Amino acid sequence: MASRSKLSGIQKQVLALYRGFLRTARLKSPEERHRIESVVSAEFRENARNIDRKNFVYIEYLLRRGKKQLEQLKDPDITGLSTLQINKSSSH
Amino acid sequence: MAAITTGSAVSFARPVKAINVGSVSFAGLRKDNVAFRMQPVTQRLAVICAAKKETVEKVCDIVKKQLVLPEGTQVTGASKFTDLGADSLDTVEIVMGLEEAFHISVEESSAQSIATVEDAANLIDKLVEAEAGK
Repeated sequence: MASRSKLSGIQKQVLALYRGFLRTARLKSPEERHRIESVVSAEFRENARNIDRKNFVYIEYLLRRGKKQLEQLKDPDITGLSTLQINKSSSH
Repeated sequence: MAAITTGSAVSFARPVKAINVGSVSFAGLRKDNVAFRMQPVTQRLAVICAAKKETVEKVCDIVKKQLVLPEGTQVTGASKFTDLGADSLDTVEIVMGLEEAFHISVEESSAQSIATVEDAANLIDKLVEAEAGK
């Protein structure tokens, strides 16, 4: 974050994805848009905080997953998105 | 390790600074510009790069709202988003907010080069003009 003008390729991709989500959110109804924006923003910020910036494999995985989710969200039949909390200790 | 990263960040920043020398000195001149708009010396620069005052003000307002800055925080044309406490995600949000406020669409490549209020205002003026010229 020292110099913003020198973003790496992967950082640009992440920001482009974020922009894509916000753009797509505009196409939905106002209250859904608001929900999408808060979910997406929370997700990006959470990941930005918790993932090691050198963990390229994982970041690239998240990018791919995010792109796929964005494609789904772009479908006009999809009106909104929701998240669910899974208790990690009880899974598997 | 941390020292090394900062070190490299600094050396990264150098060439960028070097490129920015023009715009940095511009920013200095532009600050004068606002104060002494009538001075012929800066007039030429005003034509080239000064964004409209209303645009700058509107951008400042939106930035303040987006970053939820406390009342009385000084936001001027030369303010860098990062200095105001924005991270890169905030900057994306600011640009998206500006897009909606001015009914324009900023391309990915230009959106990522915006670092200051002035940058944003200049780009907006250009886009609004292009829109009007259509």
